[in-house]
Amino acid sequence: MERNGQGALARAVAVVIRPRNLALIACVIVAGWLVFVPLAALFYTAFTEDTGFGPGPASLSNFVQAYSSWHIVRLFGNSLIFATGTAVVTLLLGGLVAFVVERTDAPLGPLFHSLALLSFAIPGLLTAMAWIFVLSPNIGWVNALMKQWFGLSEAPFSIYSMGGMIWALASHYFPLAYLALGPVLRVLDVRLEEAALVSGARYWQVMPKITLPLLRPAILSTTLLLFMLGMSSYEVPRLIGRPARIDVFTTEIQAATQNAPPEFGISSALGMTLLFICVVAVFFYRRATRNAEAFATITGKGYMPTRIKLRKWRWPVALGVLFMFFLALGLPLMTLVWQSFFRNLAQPFIGSASPFTWENYAFILHYPIFLDAVKTSVSLAAMSATLVVALTFVMAWIALRSAPKSGWLLDSIAFTPIAMPHVIVGAAVLFAYLMLPIPVYNTIWILLIAYVTLYLPYGMRFISGGLTQIHKELEEVAEVSGARMRQVFFMILLPLLAPVLLAAWIYIFVLAVRELGASVFLIGPGTHVLGTISLTMWEEGGSYGAVSALGVIQIIPLIVIVAGLRWLELRVQRRSEAAAAKAQAG
Amino acid sequence: MFAIENLRKTFVAPGNVVVNAVDDISLGIATGKLITLLGPSGCGKTTTLRCLAGLERPEGGKIVIADQTVCDTARGVFVPPSDRGIGMVFQSYAIWPHMTVFENVAFPLRVARDRKYSNAEVKDRVLRSLEMVRMAGYETRPATQLSGGQQQRLAFARGLVREPKILLLDEPLSNLDAKLREQMRVELKLLQKRLGITTVYVTHDQSEALALSDEIAVFNFGKIIQRGTPQEIYRQPKSQFVADFIGSANFLKGKVKDVREAEHMAVVETAHGPFRCIFGQTVAAGQDVLVSARPEDLTLSDKPPGDGLNALTGKVSHRVFLGEVVDYLVDAGDGEIRIRAKPEAEFHIGQAVHVGVSPQKCVALPS
Ligand SMILES: Nc1ncnc2c1ncn2[C@@H]1O[C@H](COP(=O)(O)OP(=O)(O)OP(=O)(O)O)[C@@H](O)[C@H]1O
Ligand SMILES: [Mg+2]
Repeated sequence: MERNGQGALARAVAVVIRPRNLALIACVIVAGWLVFVPLAALFYTAFTEDTGFGPGPASLSNFVQAYSSWHIVRLFGNSLIFATGTAVVTLLLGGLVAFVVERTDAPLGPLFHSLALLSFAIPGLLTAMAWIFVLSPNIGWVNALMKQWFGLSEAPFSIYSMGGMIWALASHYFPLAYLALGPVLRVLDVRLEEAALVSGARYWQVMPKITLPLLRPAILSTTLLLFMLGMSSYEVPRLIGRPARIDVFTTEIQAATQNAPPEFGISSALGMTLLFICVVAVFFYRRATRNAEAFATITGKGYMPTRIKLRKWRWPVALGVLFMFFLALGLPLMTLVWQSFFRNLAQPFIGSASPFTWENYAFILHYPIFLDAVKTSVSLAAMSATLVVALTFVMAWIALRSAPKSGWLLDSIAFTPIAMPHVIVGAAVLFAYLMLPIPVYNTIWILLIAYVTLYLPYGMRFISGGLTQIHKELEEVAEVSGARMRQVFFMILLPLLAPVLLAAWIYIFVLAVRELGASVFLIGPGTHVLGTISLTMWEEGGSYGAVSALGVIQIIPLIVIVAGLRWLELRVQRRSEAAAAKAQAG
Repeated sequence: MFAIENLRKTFVAPGNVVVNAVDDISLGIATGKLITLLGPSGCGKTTTLRCLAGLERPEGGKIVIADQTVCDTARGVFVPPSDRGIGMVFQSYAIWPHMTVFENVAFPLRVARDRKYSNAEVKDRVLRSLEMVRMAGYETRPATQLSGGQQQRLAFARGLVREPKILLLDEPLSNLDAKLREQMRVELKLLQKRLGITTVYVTHDQSEALALSDEIAVFNFGKIIQRGTPQEIYRQPKSQFVADFIGSANFLKGKVKDVREAEHMAVVETAHGPFRCIFGQTVAAGQDVLVSARPEDLTLSDKPPGDGLNALTGKVSHRVFLGEVVDYLVDAGDGEIRIRAKPEAEFHIGQAVHVGVSPQKCVALPS
């Protein structure tokens, strides 16, 4: 009996120490640590007494304190209105572009697509800053121009309002809505529309009766996604909402940690609510996307979607959309560039006291804090991109190939951070490593931990997508040919997946360089990043010119990188299309 | 050679349905022979092959390849695929798109651990392999720029380059068009004979199996239904499933009247009179059986045959001219009989005919 038991134990141990299972266990531990340790710290901080020297005994005092003033009602109201408003405006703008590009014969579609992708290079903080230059009641040049033209005594627009905040964020996110809705509109089953058209309906009758209902899952999921982005947004509320005294959850959570003494308890109690709202949104988002698949709008190749013939309206419509891009992206960017060439406030069309100058750029490029921040941001972004890509590569491979039965576990761990706004990750990581005896506080490593956690879902999505394109037999035949796991990985998988890995790397790199919401919690005296120094310079009264130059210097390399990413994606796409065409022919 | 003993492999399909993909299979063949695993879709052929290759871990059973035990669940032995010394060709060919033709074939040599190949040796062996499959001259081509047939040859060259102890082929011809398939079938057989390499061939195409094999194992529902040479399988099926799956067959219901063990003959009483039959599976007097006869073994005539045995009458109901042969359907009253005849004698639709068959071509099958 005993020997039998030992045999079973030995066999169980043998199963566990198979290299694949060891890799699985290692991944679960690493990713689980990254995701759940901070979350646990957040919960722990929220449900224990805030003694000022770390968490004390279990109590609900934080919630009592955080939720017992009228302020909380304002907080809820502001956050929900801001997120909902952003979602609606963004969806309308993005939906309009998607419709024009995908379902009409208006020209310039590829241009709009490229512009939408490039807009991803612009950090949200800088968009918010630029909108202040455009629409602030005091310094906004559009307001000044309006006052001059129409002889108004009051500024007609104010960015420092709920509407202003919504507009600033919507202008930043509408390309995303377009990119999300475009593919759905493209592959929408046109036969259903055609059936309706054939039966005598006109296109404007088909739209609401057939097209919109078919689109409902996509619209719903995009709205939820945008709502979540609105809820999680930190940059716009910080730059615009704060001076306007429009507080939302993200800014309050961060502000509480900056009080003297820091109120970690209150911060985490507020964080619980934000997290809960996002988890609910993600839950419904996943349900909506699952339904979207069940709707099976994709009918395969061999059809041309019916495009509305605009006839003489083709160009006016295209120019209208172009004007929208100009309003949303061009106006703020150009203002920022313009301002960067003047020392003091320079309002386009109004005239400026100070002369045109390059000195802002010279100043920034010799500004030691900037140079340090570039170093920190770039090395952080490179490290987090590398770590995320490496980790999710192994995780995706295990989930899809080696242990499909345990795959869901890795998937769920990797996707959990989707529901965690940057501020939550920042706060939770801060609380966790203040408690744990791991000396990363005030170092670059704590930022790295947060970044890797934040970008796990992106890496996982990219790489599982890439991996499903690679036939399993390509690996199996290598194994049968005598290759060890390591050789299969490095000689077969890695080269085949290289373009996808590179794309994921660049994508995460760009996201990490832009990061602000988590960084504000975690920077230390020697570890400033680009986002936080831009914020500090803005809030602590750097000259308008210097701040703008600082922004432009960040945007230009990012645009170049994103353009490179686009080029890479196009190449991969063309290659796989060529392979598919070949496979069909052969 | 290889030997499989009591192999079992189950899968858990969605909804927690347990599929016995391979259900207690024992199998083996001598060195240099080609065995075909034949059966309908989903019967476990590929799973058996993948267990042999080590790509699946069976729940039970033992596998020996060339005197090396590569899998023995009772003793916890499991040799990974890389150490089994096998060559394999997948249905999808699995050509690595990021390598040239040369590099594809050279890969097994480059990762070999039993010995180190010098560059000159690699080159020499790769070129020889490519020559063997008539692909010499394509070395520098990117593997993506090959036709289906060329990819298939390349996959063979890659499978053979290490001179494996055993070659596993999973429907290697099924992605080719009919003409190319027949040509490749002949080439494959010649190559296998020339190299004398033990081969396991998976197919659901019975004509491929008959043409290529030294031995056929007919699979159904994860079990081996019958094993034997192509002649045995074709001529002496042991069950209706085998008779029907390989070639086509007419079946008549009947009851065994008499068994003559010495002559290996049985007399079966049917609705059309007595039939003298051979049998693959032993039958006993009084047993309900099916008499099976292949369409090409039946003869048509307008006169009744001499002894009144192994004959029935009917009316021609359909006639299809196929060039070399003519297919007839004869209405025998209780069902239709298919007959494949030479086009010499002509029978017209509606004509009353006598159908006869030699006792050697009739098989009694337990029903
Ligand atoms: N990975 C798997 N997961 C679940 N079920 C599987 C898996 N692989 C095979 N099966 C099931 O096992 C059974 C045998 O499959 P197998 O691939 O061996 O069939 P096959 O004889 O090769 O069929 P075909 O001629 O269609 O290739 C099938 O019912 C199949 O659905
Ligand atoms: Mg198969």
